[in-house]
Amino acid sequence: MNGESVTRHLSIDFGIGLRNYVDTPHVEGTSVTPELEWKKVSAELLILSLIEARPRHGYEISKLIEQRSGGAVTFYVASLYPLLYRLEKRGWIQGRWVEKSGQRRRRYYRLTPAGHKVLAAQRRGWKAFVEAVNRITEAEHA
Amino acid sequence: MPDWSGEIARCLSSVKVESSREIEVVEELSQHLDDRYHELIAAGATDADARQTVLRELNSDRIPEQIQEENTGNKPINSAAPRGGKNGFLANLVQDARYALRQLRRNPGFALVAIVTLGLGIGASTAIFSVIDNVLLEPFPYKDAGHIIYPRIHGASQGPDEGRQGFSSDELLAFAGENHSLDGVIGTADDPVLFKHDDGVEWLYGADMTPGSFEFFGMPALYGRVLQAADYNPGAPPVFVLRYKTWKAHFNGDLNVLNKVFVLNGTARTLVGIMPPRFGWYDADVWIPKMPHAGMSLGFAGLPERWFILGRLRHGVSVAQASADLTGIVNPLSKLRPQDYPAQFQLFAVPFGHSGGEHLESTLYTVLAAVGLLLVIACVNVANLMLARATSREKEFALRAVLGAGRTRLVRLLLVESLVLAFAGAGLGVLVAWGALKFIVATMPPDSIPAESVIGLNAQVLAFTMVLAILTPLIFGLAPAVQAARRDLNDPLRDAGRGVIGGFRTARLRDAAVVVEVAVSLMLLVGAGLLMHSFLAMRQVRLGIEADHIFNTTLLLPPDRYKTAGQVREFIAPLLTRLKSIPGVTDAAESSSVPPNNSRDSRIEIAGKPPEKQWRAQVQNISEEYFRALHIPLEMGRGFTTSEINDARKVAVVNRKFVSTYLSGEEPIGRRVKLLELDSIQDSPQEQFFQIVGVVDDVSNQGAPGYGRGGLQAAIEPQVWVPYTVTGSGQRSLIVRSSQAPMSLITDVQRAVWAGDSGVALMYPDALEQMISRRWYAGPRFIFLMMAIFGGVGLTLVTVGVYSVLAYTTEQKTHEIGIRMALGAERKNVLRLIVSKGIRLVVAGVAIGLAVSLVLGRAVQAELWPGVKPYDPVTLVSTILVLLVTGVLASWIPARRAARVDPMVALRRE
Repeated sequence: MNGESVTRHLSIDFGIGLRNYVDTPHVEGTSVTPELEWKKVSAELLILSLIEARPRHGYEISKLIEQRSGGAVTFYVASLYPLLYRLEKRGWIQGRWVEKSGQRRRRYYRLTPAGHKVLAAQRRGWKAFVEAVNRITEAEHA
Repeated sequence: MPDWSGEIARCLSSVKVESSREIEVVEELSQHLDDRYHELIAAGATDADARQTVLRELNSDRIPEQIQEENTGNKPINSAAPRGGKNGFLANLVQDARYALRQLRRNPGFALVAIVTLGLGIGASTAIFSVIDNVLLEPFPYKDAGHIIYPRIHGASQGPDEGRQGFSSDELLAFAGENHSLDGVIGTADDPVLFKHDDGVEWLYGADMTPGSFEFFGMPALYGRVLQAADYNPGAPPVFVLRYKTWKAHFNGDLNVLNKVFVLNGTARTLVGIMPPRFGWYDADVWIPKMPHAGMSLGFAGLPERWFILGRLRHGVSVAQASADLTGIVNPLSKLRPQDYPAQFQLFAVPFGHSGGEHLESTLYTVLAAVGLLLVIACVNVANLMLARATSREKEFALRAVLGAGRTRLVRLLLVESLVLAFAGAGLGVLVAWGALKFIVATMPPDSIPAESVIGLNAQVLAFTMVLAILTPLIFGLAPAVQAARRDLNDPLRDAGRGVIGGFRTARLRDAAVVVEVAVSLMLLVGAGLLMHSFLAMRQVRLGIEADHIFNTTLLLPPDRYKTAGQVREFIAPLLTRLKSIPGVTDAAESSSVPPNNSRDSRIEIAGKPPEKQWRAQVQNISEEYFRALHIPLEMGRGFTTSEINDARKVAVVNRKFVSTYLSGEEPIGRRVKLLELDSIQDSPQEQFFQIVGVVDDVSNQGAPGYGRGGLQAAIEPQVWVPYTVTGSGQRSLIVRSSQAPMSLITDVQRAVWAGDSGVALMYPDALEQMISRRWYAGPRFIFLMMAIFGGVGLTLVTVGVYSVLAYTTEQKTHEIGIRMALGAERKNVLRLIVSKGIRLVVAGVAIGLAVSLVLGRAVQAELWPGVKPYDPVTLVSTILVLLVTGVLASWIPARRAARVDPMVALRRE
């Protein structure tokens, strides 16, 4: 499993025409329009979800994504960190250096209030999207 | 444990991230890589494998850019502006532009080459377009200038641009009164003016104007008024109008001179108006009213008055209809004065709008074609650079696509980058054009552009530059952009950049671009080579004189005091003696013209032979030292003696051409020749037969091209020299040979002239050699110089083009070369591999360029010296050699670099 997986996994299964399906979350001073591509939103959704419960550092996030997807989705350093920095820049997540005794300090990322709202909106959108896909595919089977 | 910080820092080295932030990023990524490394080791990987895997994962060189985007002060896209709608588009555009600028800053070498390349291409085109716009398209500020024509009488044996453009008063009056095709006919005649002021006299270039002239041009005076109908009434107070430039130069722009009285040619005239700067009709300093009168009227120097005629075509009348109309009018006149008309003549109405740069027109369009080709090379070069860069940026594009950029967005990003380059190039181009125009104006042949045209960067030209700036990115940016967007953007992410080198199609496109460049450059160089050959051939033409160390000037004698031959001789003979007493002066002579200018044309008859209507010769009036001063060798007989000159004997010297044309196989000495032209000048001699006493070698007498004469490439005409004392009429020029620099004589000559008569002025004082260089050689030298410069620039661009493509290919093929060398290929094989690729491209370009050059050869034929063929083998072969050598040189550096590759390093290379 390597770098192509994330793109392949997402891009082969869903065509471009579906991208507008993603709901538009509205966050203070921020808006994400339907044009924002679903691939991007889904990558963001993964990261935002993983740090919803508690702050995590980058390596932890990448391992979790790999493990929980059963190796189907992989984020390498080259794609993960730019995305983290971008989310941080948007004010959706916040990174903070945390020192634990006997360890090197690590940078932990946690969700901001704005990030919570975006996550909720993205979840709703994703759910609606998956349901829509299901309805379509199940109708075919019926 | 490996230290990754070096690798990461290298990744970030090209990025401007705040240093404190960079330290954090390095720390964070190092930790990630450490964790990953430990994980791999724990899974059983060897140290080397683990290291390699980690580095490969890191080694997506797009990290820097992504990180920079997130870490510089730029506002994040999404919170800055909503992405949808117009604003979003604009915001994206601004962001693209900003991103493009950052890209260019990061690759200063690429940016510099691209901008300079485009700047040269756009600058050169803008400069030449400026010249064409100002000289050919809109040279004249006159009313409805596009419909103005002038008549020219053209003999069957004359070249296309030759013929008579001066018309008698009778002809002028006939045109004005009888035509059915023109609205308004005016005439202008030379009238050199002696202008008397407190310091002495000087000459001004005056022009006699017929009634209605200023109404015809439709330009009001800047100050005062133009000439009016009342100024032509008998007994009206004499007036004149002054040119702006002359007003500035002679009167420092003093408005008090208006309505003052000045003595011009002995007549007190009131200055009634000063014209605006762009009014420069006839290149005159002053315009004087003169009514044409029927019958023979005399003008300057007692010669018959000749009017240059202008008419404006009536609405709906074509040039051909006007020509037919005017031909019908002169036909009866040609029966009355057959000596004024060549055999089987035609009258053409020539559009005046073109007369500005008439003889420069084809030259300028040739040069425009050349700069067009140069611009093509520039665009292709930049397109090629961008293609190469697009290939190396595939991973970046792929990552952008993964992160949500659509294909249109990618194409737009690349086009915006091209636009940024083009605008920077256009900015530089304006500077280049500004400098080039100064150079062009300085090298342009004098008198070749109308006095009215002002060459400069004007609004149209700037608009032209802007169009270029917008069009060029479409040419050089679109191909790479579409190419980049068409590829499967996921491909590059799958491998680490090895193997798929730029893709087959991209490589082929780049090669094709180089082939096109070479072909275009060959065409330019062949053009430059042919023109150089042509220029050299022209310089080989024997003038028949030795022009070095000759000072010459034309005398402006006050017409009231110099009417008869005797009066002229009384002044000239002692003047020549005084001139010879100037230190350094070896010979001084008087002449009615200075070669290679033509002299007056006359019908001739030879005693003992039946009169032939076709027999003509040029007649020149000279003093006894003329042949010696110009080092014209005597072939038979002798020159004139002093007493023959002083006594105005009817003796003649003829040129070799005269003998071979009219007296072939006969003894010329002692024969008598009659010059029929002499009966039309003031105080014509009674006995018009002149006895031939000598024959001299042929001397160029074809005049300067573009003045109704053929120039040096036309055949030398039969010529007769007679003593200047036989008539009081005609132009008087001084020819002085000195051991010193010719122009250093001017004060001494002026003093010698004024010692005889302080009312005589010197016109056109000049060194003969310089005068010939300016009037005869400057035109061909100009076009040759332009083509050589553009050819040279084109060759430089091609060198850069070939080099960049090969350097890029070599760089990309390092891995392949490593394998080849590991498998036993020797360095020379590698060298040959790369150089032969370069040569193949150049040869393909040469073949195409050669084919096109041969087809287009006829386009430059008109600019070439007779005898220089468009498929001149010497030029073609040497041009091809130049290009091949250039190709080898441009390939050599990348090839040598490739041959030095260490196979082990190359194989390890990712």
